[in-house]
Amino acid sequence: MLSPEATTPVEIRKKGGERLTIRWADAHESVYLARTLRGRCPCAQCVSETTGMRLVTEEHVRPDVSIAAARPVGNYALHFDWSDGHTTGIYSFEYLRRICPCPACVGADAERPPL
Amino acid sequence: MSAGQIREPQVLDALRSVMDPDLHRDIVSLGFIRNLVIEGDTVSFDVNLTTPACPVKDRLREQARQAVLQGVPGIRDVRVTMTAEVRRPQAPDTSALKTVRNIVAVGSGKGGVGKSTVAANLAAALAKTGAAVGLLDADIYGPSIPIMMKAGRPAEPREHFIEPGEAYGVKLMSMGYLTPGDQPLIWRGPMAHKAVQQSLLGVNWGELDYLVVDMPPGTGDVHLTLVQTVPVTGALIVSTPQDVGLQISMKTLRMFQQTKVPVLGIVENMSTYVCPHCGGRDDLFGHGGAREAANRFGVPFLGEIPLDAAIRRYSDDGRPVVLAEPDSPSGAAFTEITGRLAQQVSIQAFKHIALTIVEE
Repeated sequence: MLSPEATTPVEIRKKGGERLTIRWADAHESVYLARTLRGRCPCAQCVSETTGMRLVTEEHVRPDVSIAAARPVGNYALHFDWSDGHTTGIYSFEYLRRICPCPACVGADAERPPL
Repeated sequence: MSAGQIREPQVLDALRSVMDPDLHRDIVSLGFIRNLVIEGDTVSFDVNLTTPACPVKDRLREQARQAVLQGVPGIRDVRVTMTAEVRRPQAPDTSALKTVRNIVAVGSGKGGVGKSTVAANLAAALAKTGAAVGLLDADIYGPSIPIMMKAGRPAEPREHFIEPGEAYGVKLMSMGYLTPGDQPLIWRGPMAHKAVQQSLLGVNWGELDYLVVDMPPGTGDVHLTLVQTVPVTGALIVSTPQDVGLQISMKTLRMFQQTKVPVLGIVENMSTYVCPHCGGRDDLFGHGGAREAANRFGVPFLGEIPLDAAIRRYSDDGRPVVLAEPDSPSGAAFTEITGRLAQQVSIQAFKHIALTIVEE
């Protein structure tokens, strides 16, 4: 179970369309590459609603995919418009923290379906 | 010492000993002191609070007066004016509803716990303190605000937006305005989503200190739309004291927590029945359950509202009891809860971290 601090962003930075950095209230920093993030889209087109199986992975997306636009969703998530036209994913902060790609976090927690 | 020597820093230093009990900071560093004027041995200033509904207003006024009288030599008279300006959580300017400072959702687990009654009375009580207030009745299943507030003028569609109705100084929009008379709304999720979005963003709310949103019971489409469309300042949970009501209310509480909407507190409605004939008390639905649940979940308990025939009578009549009979047990309870709610909103507004995406 992640603490509220671990899932509360204090700073969100975007470098062009390539990279997103989130600094969390527990002082951890997560750096996401666009392609990784696109390949872990939690929407119903990318993850089967009935089986929970991932249908679209990093291998399925264009290597040069980028973030066309990003905006907060209420208080709890981020939404991305991707350069490949995909727009249906809502990435909750809890989900984003779970998929933090840093060596310390990888393997710490399995990917979970989002809210 | 001659009075002419009194300087502004002396007065401010003395005022630094006065703490805001909710924000745990002194009223000078919070920027509450305005219009400080020193004339001879007389000092006057405003204390600009974060809400006109502040329940400790009088205590702060006296503390500020005493602090200056005792802390600055040579002062003979201190004139304190209490003002208020509702702060907004720091939200990005691009956020929807730019002119609305705080959005407060009123939710419950099951229906029939008096959510709309609470929402209507809170909105009316906030407006009575001088705050600019809107009330959005987002209950698609049983919109009851038009009855409880007897909207003098219902919402009207204009060219590009909807002009809200108004009653008792509260701007009103209701799902009930979207269908004529006694027709029900029979909608699939996407319709509800669109209607709620339009009621939030398509209504000419103008400048509001508080927008109170009366939610449908449970955790459904409307809730998701609300938390995804706007940055909600916080949520108030209404529950009855008995276990079954409470347990379901706690699901609503968890939903708000999962979507990072701070829970401002829990209110226990239908708490105790006071017999109007003999004055005897009877806990028809039990008593104190909501307070225990609040403790368990670590959220503030904001108060109890007694089961009172006056609430029903005035609600059916279109007058919130907090205005019609403010000194009745239920009227007084609503006034008290309104003050505590406004405190919690101010606390959240100070704690909130702006959610902006910065370009590197």
